[in-house]
Amino acid sequence: MCKVFFRRKSIGIMVIAIINYGLGNLSSVAGAIERLGYKYIITNKKEEIRNSDKFILPGVGAFAEGMQNIKNLELDKILNEVVLEHKKPILGICLGFHMMAHEGFEFGHHAGLGWLEASVIKFEIDKNLRLPHVGWNDLFMVRESKLFYNIPEDALFYYVHSYHMKCKMKEIVTGECLYGERFTSTIENNNVYGTQFHPEKSQKWGLQLLRNFVEMA
Amino acid sequence: MVRKRLIIVLTINNGVLFRTRNFIPDYRYTINFVDAWSVDEVVLLDITRPGDGDRKNFYEVIKFFSKNCFVPLTVGGGVKSINDFKILLGMGADKVSINTSALENPNIITEAAKSFGSQCVVVSIDAKKNSAEEYRVFSDFGTKETEHNPNDWAKEITRLGAGEILIQSIDRDGMLEGYDNELNKMISDSVNIPVLVCGGAGNWQNFLDGFTKGNASAVCTTNIYHFTESSIKSAKQYLKKANIHIRI
Repeated sequence: MCKVFFRRKSIGIMVIAIINYGLGNLSSVAGAIERLGYKYIITNKKEEIRNSDKFILPGVGAFAEGMQNIKNLELDKILNEVVLEHKKPILGICLGFHMMAHEGFEFGHHAGLGWLEASVIKFEIDKNLRLPHVGWNDLFMVRESKLFYNIPEDALFYYVHSYHMKCKMKEIVTGECLYGERFTSTIENNNVYGTQFHPEKSQKWGLQLLRNFVEMA
Repeated sequence: MVRKRLIIVLTINNGVLFRTRNFIPDYRYTINFVDAWSVDEVVLLDITRPGDGDRKNFYEVIKFFSKNCFVPLTVGGGVKSINDFKILLGMGADKVSINTSALENPNIITEAAKSFGSQCVVVSIDAKKNSAEEYRVFSDFGTKETEHNPNDWAKEITRLGAGEILIQSIDRDGMLEGYDNELNKMISDSVNIPVLVCGGAGNWQNFLDGFTKGNASAVCTTNIYHFTESSIKSAKQYLKKANIHIRI
């Protein structure tokens, strides 16, 4: 009798870990991944994170509280391991994206995860500018990104934020948006991806962007 | 530049979509309508009177919408504490709207903004003219007059950290005769956060007036059973023709 051995990887189904640090809107992100037909777990457990293939760091909330929760749960260590050492793809959304920066200035000066040479700063207030920046706005694709596959140039995405990321390395900025000033909308830096807008709240094109992240090699 | 928004407000009574007429809720219909059409945002308001129902039924509605509609979801009604914020955000809300509790304890605005970000805190202002013909803010489902003038209250909640203001005209609600744009403009011009206007829209011209005369960032409507796929589109086409920057 012939025995066939499978290595776990070869039959393994890709698992997307949605990182639960107590602040993000997890159910919408989960709903979007489910709609796309992929397997996900919502977790903050070390072993589950270590065994996952791709990661989404969602975001609704304030920078300081987000980072505090990440540290309290000791998520920074395991995330550093999978992202920096194992080079697995991760997508940060809004606050999740912000926390990838080395510092943020929301309610004081706080250290972030430090994966991106960047600062998270408040929009400079213009008299005619209402803050937060809330609503559907453009994504100007200034560089190629794997996230943009099959997304038209006039696609709109849902933004809700008062702070934005200023990157030291311009070459990682793939998308920009205009609200009083041009600001960073998306980044791609090797295995690290981020969106200022909420793809899980941006209907069709948001789902396409998530699909691109999930399906990229 | 950021687009003007068209928002659907759904009032939920003990977990059931509430209409004043005999209305049989069908969430499949609602979901399709929100997901497939170009509605920009959804607001779910729990209008269950205290003691009249089980809050869990409302939670189920939030979960359902959050999982199935990929547009922003604001949730409100009966929010009293930071813990309520936590629960609703956990159910899938993106923003939480508060009204009476902000009047009773304004510090909740600041606390919530610190914990969840300003963008998460929508303060709803129910207002109308009192017997002396002066605008006043009302609490408790629009039944109790407060001493607040809407203008000053709007400035105060902005200072405390609110992310958006939802203006509900008590008198215009359900009248389909247009928004109270005198009230809307007065509030909108006195703050620098987005202002959503609600109560009174009956046709496309009313939406347009909400933007041009009321200076709104978003116009809201509760009359969802007036809508079909083509009517949302035609509303937006109408607004676009009138040079309103809107997502089609």
